[in-house]
Amino acid sequence: MHPILRSRSRTLIYIAVWIPVAALLTGVVSRGGAVGLGEGAAILVPMCFIYAFICQASWYLCSAVPLRQTDVARLLATHATAATASSAIWVGMGWLWVYILGSTGYMDGIVQRFAGQLPILFFSGLLLFSLAVVLNYLLITFEASQLVEKQALELQVLNREAELRTLRAQIDPHFLFNSLNSISALVTTDPKAARRMCILLADFFRGCLKLGSEPRISLSEEIRLAECYLDIERVRLGARLQVEREIDQQSGFCMVPPLIMQPLIENAITHGIGPMVEGGTVRVQAERNGAGVKIVVENPYDPELGAKTGSGVGLKNVRMRLANLYSDNARLDIDREGTRFRVQLQLPCQSGT
Amino acid sequence: MRIVIVDDEELARRLLREYLSAYDDVEVVAECANGFEAVKAVTDLKPDLMLLDIQMPRLDGFEVLELVGREVGVIFVTAYDQYALRAFEVHAVDYLLKPFAEDRLRAALDRARSRVAAKALVAPAQLSVMARPAGSHLERVAIRDGANVHVIPVSKIDYIEAQDDYVCFRAEGKRYLKQQTLAEIETALDPEQFVRIHRSYILNIDRLAKLELYAKDSHAAILRDGTRLAVSRSGYARLNAVLK
Repeated sequence: MHPILRSRSRTLIYIAVWIPVAALLTGVVSRGGAVGLGEGAAILVPMCFIYAFICQASWYLCSAVPLRQTDVARLLATHATAATASSAIWVGMGWLWVYILGSTGYMDGIVQRFAGQLPILFFSGLLLFSLAVVLNYLLITFEASQLVEKQALELQVLNREAELRTLRAQIDPHFLFNSLNSISALVTTDPKAARRMCILLADFFRGCLKLGSEPRISLSEEIRLAECYLDIERVRLGARLQVEREIDQQSGFCMVPPLIMQPLIENAITHGIGPMVEGGTVRVQAERNGAGVKIVVENPYDPELGAKTGSGVGLKNVRMRLANLYSDNARLDIDREGTRFRVQLQLPCQSGT
Repeated sequence: MRIVIVDDEELARRLLREYLSAYDDVEVVAECANGFEAVKAVTDLKPDLMLLDIQMPRLDGFEVLELVGREVGVIFVTAYDQYALRAFEVHAVDYLLKPFAEDRLRAALDRARSRVAAKALVAPAQLSVMARPAGSHLERVAIRDGANVHVIPVSKIDYIEAQDDYVCFRAEGKRYLKQQTLAEIETALDPEQFVRIHRSYILNIDRLAKLELYAKDSHAAILRDGTRLAVSRSGYARLNAVLK
């Protein structure tokens, strides 16, 4: 559907634009005195009204020969032909109208008197049609840019939703159930520890909810969250879990996507420490290097346990997030060395505002 | 009722012990922190009931059950609800989801009392097959050898040979016997990796060095370590289908 005819107010505005055009043309045809002002208006007002719609037919033409994809010669030829044809038809219709008017007897000899004005009407027709073509190209460009903007907005919303979905997937819900079970056990034997565990859980989930909704958080906040998680797991796993950290103060200011470390830490526990009878030490390391920041999570693991440890879904998620957020400027490396499993994240260090 | 508690978390065991202390007819005979200990405890102590976690070091709950057979009733205690179906397929008495209330444990114990007499519902050899989630393949094999338990990742298996009522796993130059049929093992393994080349053999195709024409219609598979295995006509077709 034609964009101008799509709404009534637009149509009215468009027709209003043609009123001065009709007035101007009336002035032009009556300038020599052969045609009176009243006669000119009676001829040209209906003519202009009709031509307003004829000109809009060029919109379909403009859509059919888009500005960028068509070569200039073809463009000009198409529109010149269309303009000539439209103008000729229009002048023909006008001539018919004058003939009808003349036959009523009110305008004596109008047919002969008006004949001299036909060439200038024809050129006006060409000009007006060309203006309409220009206007329609502008309109099409405007609509296209609006569409691009809308699509960009939609894409942004989709990306955000995907991001939130991945965030939710970062935290294994069984972590909560196991922690609640620990609290259930502590309530009678060690009420203080039970309370501490409640507070740790609340801190962790509050942190996740609050920071998870930010596009970026500082690495120090991210590490605090990871430590909160590890504290909870220490209550659960007891002496089997030890934590070593080596955090360079400078790295704390870097802004990182929230919960980017969570799957690494979770993997270290569920696939590293969890399946080992004697447990072990999870090492968390962060340091500035050049324009970036390096985050390392290292844990012992038992290669004898077979493929059962680690499906790699968590790490794949992290990789996808990094690719979405940084394209090629971030990387995740995994290396297994004997019984050590090491995941290294390299991110650009963006400073916070 | 004599009970063994199996959970890798000290706090989870403490909770169960506390709940169970309320019952006069219940005696906790052992607490185990991993699957190996559980197998040993059940073998040595012959309890009536096991309260068994699923995700544990070394052996998971289903593997423990497979190794100890149906000598003992089982109540699974876990935070994971996705195992519930499997648990009932292996005829568990009940399935408790952590965290659980005391009442819930009481109901499970009531069921256990009435079920403890009924044993040997499922042959242990079928457990590993049944306890596998649909669409996944066996990743490791747990084999009991007296009081010892061997866990072999399937990638280390060279081939599996049928021997009367047993199957013999060959891995890293060692032999491990398990009471199971070759057909049961075959369905549990990844068909892209393990091919039934003969009535008596399943071969890990990574170990295959070459195929030799043996007689007019039969072939022999030569493994990387030089072992020769007979390949039947249908086995040869299956092998070709996998190797393309």
